[in-house]
Amino acid sequence: MILAVLLPFIFAIFIPFLSKWKDKFHTGIAVTLIPLAIFIYFARFLGADFAPVTKSYPWIPSLDMNMVFHLDGLSLLFVMLITGIGTLVAFYSIYYLHKSEKLGHFYVYFLIFMGSMLGVVLSDNIYVLYSFWEFTSLSSFLLIGYWNHKHASRYGALKSMLITVFGGLSLLGALVFMHIITGTTSIQQMITSNEAILNHESFPLILSLLLLGAFTKSAQFPFHIWLPDAMEAPTPVSAYLHSATMVKAGIFLVARFSPMLSASDWYFIVVSSFGIVTLCWGSYMAVRQTDLKGILAFSTISQLGMIMAMIGFGTKAAIFAAVFHILNHATFKGSLFMIAGIVDHETGTRDIRKLGGLMNYLPMTATLAMFGVFSMAGFPLPFLNGFYSKEMFFKSSLELTATDGIATFLTTAIPYLAVFGSIFTFVYSMYFFFGTFRGASNINQLPKKPHEAPVGMLVSPTILVLLVVGIGLFPFLVNEPFITHAASAVYGSEAMKEIYFWHGFNLPFIMSLTVIAFGTILALTIPRWTVVYQYIPGVLSMNKVYDFMVDKSVVFSSKVNKSYMTGSLALYMKLILVTIVGVSFTLFFMTGGFALDLSNLAPVTTIEIIVALTMAIAAFGTIFTNNRIAAILILGVVGYGLAMLFIIYRAPDLALTQLIVETVTVALFLLVFYHLPNLKHRGETKADSLVNWLVAVGFGLLITTVAISSHSSKWFDVISSYFVDNSYKLGGGDNIVNVILVDMRGLDTLFEIAVLGLAAMAIYSLIKIKNKKEEK
Amino acid sequence: MEIIMSVLAGILFMTGVYNLLQKQLLRIVIGTALISHGAHLTILTMGKLKDGAPPILTEGVENYTDPLPQALILTSIVISFGVTSLLLVLAYRASKINHTDNMEQLRGNDYE
Amino acid sequence: MSNLAVLPIALPFLAGIIVAFFHKKLVAARIFALLATIIHLAVTTVILLQVNQNGSYVLELGNWKAPYGIVLVADPLSALLVMTTAIIGVAAVIYAPRSLSKIQEEYYFYSFFFLLISGVSGAFLTGDLFNLFVFFEVLLMASYGLIVLGNGKAQLRESLKYILINLFSSMLFVTTIAFLYSVVGTVNMAQAAERVGDVEQQGILTTIAILLFFVFATKAAVFPLYYWLPNSYTVPNAVVSALFGALLTKVGVYSILRTFTLIFNHEVPLTHTLFIYLAIFTMVFGVIGALSTNNVKLIIAYNIIPAVGFMLMGIGLFNETAIAGSIYYLVHDMIIKAVLFLLIGAIIHAAGTSDLNKMGGLIHHFPVLGWMFFLSTLVLAGIPPFSGFVGKLLLLQGGLEQEEILVVLVALISSLGILFSMMRIFIKGFWGEAGIMDLPERKSSMSLMIWPIGLLLTLSVVLGVGAEWFYPGIESIAEYVMNPEIYVESVLKE
Repeated sequence: MILAVLLPFIFAIFIPFLSKWKDKFHTGIAVTLIPLAIFIYFARFLGADFAPVTKSYPWIPSLDMNMVFHLDGLSLLFVMLITGIGTLVAFYSIYYLHKSEKLGHFYVYFLIFMGSMLGVVLSDNIYVLYSFWEFTSLSSFLLIGYWNHKHASRYGALKSMLITVFGGLSLLGALVFMHIITGTTSIQQMITSNEAILNHESFPLILSLLLLGAFTKSAQFPFHIWLPDAMEAPTPVSAYLHSATMVKAGIFLVARFSPMLSASDWYFIVVSSFGIVTLCWGSYMAVRQTDLKGILAFSTISQLGMIMAMIGFGTKAAIFAAVFHILNHATFKGSLFMIAGIVDHETGTRDIRKLGGLMNYLPMTATLAMFGVFSMAGFPLPFLNGFYSKEMFFKSSLELTATDGIATFLTTAIPYLAVFGSIFTFVYSMYFFFGTFRGASNINQLPKKPHEAPVGMLVSPTILVLLVVGIGLFPFLVNEPFITHAASAVYGSEAMKEIYFWHGFNLPFIMSLTVIAFGTILALTIPRWTVVYQYIPGVLSMNKVYDFMVDKSVVFSSKVNKSYMTGSLALYMKLILVTIVGVSFTLFFMTGGFALDLSNLAPVTTIEIIVALTMAIAAFGTIFTNNRIAAILILGVVGYGLAMLFIIYRAPDLALTQLIVETVTVALFLLVFYHLPNLKHRGETKADSLVNWLVAVGFGLLITTVAISSHSSKWFDVISSYFVDNSYKLGGGDNIVNVILVDMRGLDTLFEIAVLGLAAMAIYSLIKIKNKKEEK
Repeated sequence: MEIIMSVLAGILFMTGVYNLLQKQLLRIVIGTALISHGAHLTILTMGKLKDGAPPILTEGVENYTDPLPQALILTSIVISFGVTSLLLVLAYRASKINHTDNMEQLRGNDYE
Repeated sequence: MSNLAVLPIALPFLAGIIVAFFHKKLVAARIFALLATIIHLAVTTVILLQVNQNGSYVLELGNWKAPYGIVLVADPLSALLVMTTAIIGVAAVIYAPRSLSKIQEEYYFYSFFFLLISGVSGAFLTGDLFNLFVFFEVLLMASYGLIVLGNGKAQLRESLKYILINLFSSMLFVTTIAFLYSVVGTVNMAQAAERVGDVEQQGILTTIAILLFFVFATKAAVFPLYYWLPNSYTVPNAVVSALFGALLTKVGVYSILRTFTLIFNHEVPLTHTLFIYLAIFTMVFGVIGALSTNNVKLIIAYNIIPAVGFMLMGIGLFNETAIAGSIYYLVHDMIIKAVLFLLIGAIIHAAGTSDLNKMGGLIHHFPVLGWMFFLSTLVLAGIPPFSGFVGKLLLLQGGLEQEEILVVLVALISSLGILFSMMRIFIKGFWGEAGIMDLPERKSSMSLMIWPIGLLLTLSVVLGVGAEWFYPGIESIAEYVMNPEIYVESVLKE
């Protein structure tokens, strides 16, 4: 099984070589074989006696990340869709993409995407699932941005990536959380220990994170906005991503975790309300679109909302309907996308305002479209699979029960919203079909003269339409082999249902009729009421929110950043110092760090006081003098003062060194600053000066208090007695400091010299490179 | 005496920091020099001041001042010297090339 | 055998001195540098293997027994980091001739480079606080030499700030060592750890600890001490930036990790909670920085900061999982930052500009470069199964074990920010219409730039996909780090 998942990835490696001969041999032909092979491999699992299979391959056992593939009814359904539609799409793309395109790139992305989708639906390990999940986001990013010379493609690609990766990260948060709580990385095992998660205090957070992941992927309102822009992708991609795969991954995720979470009321409330709102919003917005693919995009959003809502209902009937509709939607939506592609390909435009009356030019395409569209609308005909699941949807929406608060309100509202959403579904379906294929034809305005598509292009949609009809006529053919298994996997126990066309003249059927009646009226009068779109959504759309956030994130960042990254050293230093002083003092007092121990101090003598005073005055002097020579010399006074202190405090070597270093430094100072402008008045405002003083005094205080406290907390003997004892014995020298320097801490000294050497080289190159430049 | 020395070190740090916050390069470099003096004084103070003879072994003397801080200071002095020299040359070059010795004019957020 | 521990310091030190004697004979210098780095890599690999097999090497220099002399401690953590440093060294040496001008190469680039490596290795290996200061100075001084190399106008300007801020923090460092010496009477880290553990009332120690933290945090570019970083990492040559980005901040992070697991682990609720909050701010402001600019190199430089936030988060969380995450992230980040800076160098070379608004369509001419950049973006943003993900995952797990939900959420969001900031480069720079460029000349010099990057990137990918080969080792390092007694015993031999 691992081979089946990895096959697309492995094959993707060879695509670049294969695409070198694309002039003679369309790369797509070879690629078509891959999903077909996987399809055939998995098809043998189909059947009434199917039982889940788990295969496990070690990958990173120490992190509990293993390739564990769990093939149950739900995964099988998705695998069949991914590979089945994948085959058709790959075949379709052979005719859709011309050989002059960058076929290699396209098929590499395509295969990576397909492999990742397979990984998502088969993985039982949460982290492996997450890995594949992110890869679907990234490969769809590449697919959407395939024609990246177009601005709209780049925009759409970025948008889909940001939103879906955002969701992915949120999902990761939820997964890690569940891992920590349950101690397992296997979804199946988590399901058995779901109590721990449901009763955890952070359950609401976990649920939100998880659903955020699913909703963004499945384009639920208000995260749906990436989907319409993703239509910039080549049409085979849209057909693949948005009918059967990418967007269904979110559905899959919710379905997968449904046995674990459905016990929670919040799960029902959140999932079904998001679903139902998405259903209504999507279908409502679809009518406004002018791009054929735009209509289909919003239609997809709306249909996904419907499926999501059904999973949220959580009843046996609803789950069954949801799973059934996943299949049905894939068939009719896949064919419709391909039809939109054909129309685009043959006429050069997808703008429904320019199209019309194409029935006469593309009769075959139009016929196919008719089946797809009426199935999508849920027209009550026995050979349209869309009707079955739509009817089940109505039925299940009526069967909801709840006991308290919001849930009760929802159970009452849902049937009405369901009808409302379906009316618009009917409207846009009709709009799509009649706007394109019927009505007045204005052939001359089209960029290309339309004619029927090549047979090869028609093969894939035809197969899908045959499925639409086939499932409609013989639902039991798909029911037992896999719909039931899939529904059972989601529901958690046996969820077998019979599928009938005629249930009698009951409430769901009346709902269907209502939809058709109102739908027909609205569809006929579209131009008269489209004015409502000026008010809802009006100017306030989620797209604007997204654009605002993305644009502003850059603008805002650069504003924030510029406010402190000014390049001013003084500002940087002030911020750093304020932090150090503030935090250190706070901690200092919080931990009772202050200590004062006056015993055992050296006596105060006059000469030391004099030296110290001189140094202090000199130190202040450097601030107040405006003469550079004076400033440098005063600095020298401080240095020599320090040398004096070294003498007083019994450090002859230090005193010597300090004297020499100070002398050289002062000389250097004079040398360098002789060439630079004289000191000016400090030229700071009063406020500036005050802040600087505050910072400086604060830091000085910090050093003094910490120094006093440290000195008063001498809790241990210093290690120096060893040096005194062993300086001569082991080190062979009388001068202990020297012995320490050259022997005990010789490494310090060696590298101290290295520092000097480096400084010398740096200075040399500073001076030398200058000369070279000036010579030029 | 240690208290006084701690205060002196604090003053050195304070004046050093204040200078560091100025605009003119010379003041800034002077600031760094003051700060290193302060640091060295702190190390010295953190050993025990005048607690014994200079750390040179002499017949009959048992008690020496702590030699380790002295060794550390010596290393540190030399290193500071290296850095300061580099800094001086760099300050010179930077101000020549950029035609200013005012740090506030050396912000350069033009990202060239 | 424990003498081996000095080699990672001594080899580059000697190489740096030797190469200074023929610094103008470039061909010889290049060959010599390459050989030296390869030998260095071999030696460090041997050390890592040996240490993992036989336990830490503790080398008492001059046979002065600890804590009186200086000790070098090649424990699993430092051996790992030293080896990673060596890998980056090799890549840098291969890349350097394509990227540097002749003058830059001649004026002691290789000497500075080797002493930088020597200083970094020393900082990883030393077991003595004051010696750590000395190695800090060595690596800083070498970095000063590298950052001014070439004497550009902006370069000098930014180096000035860089040196001043670092000088200040170095002085604070010695002062803090003095404080610590006064309280615990030693500069040996193991002994300090032992003694700090012995006192009942921490008192002043916490303040000293936090001062030390700020010293390291300044080098590590933790919020709010990172201001010096972005511009000063942008001005020098790409190979220098790569060395800085890969090594310098990481030395700071390592020092925090070392001191706050080994010595200052007694006020965890206070200090480490502070770290978590600083980590949050570091991530947020780092991402803000990364989104704020159109200068590609600056984007990469800003991206160093959130990564530091991630590592600090692990130290703050202070449990084994999180520490393992930090260490994994540390190694990952060293490699990927080197990759990114080298890549950006190549990209700027290819596009002829570092301004994102002037770029476009590079992928049509430089597909390999483009896909390498795309891949490294995924690695950086922590997309599984690459190396960034493993570290991030461990950090998230560690965070949730500790119930620190806020930092976990911020970490997740900042991953998105990182990805966005990098994808902007990909979308704006690589996609779109190709500009008109004088291609042949640019293409010709590209391949030698590409393949050291490719090496590092492959390693980075392996570090993620093959996590099984590395993680058990890292896990045992984390366990070792969380039990500082082992370190103390191995040094003091009690």
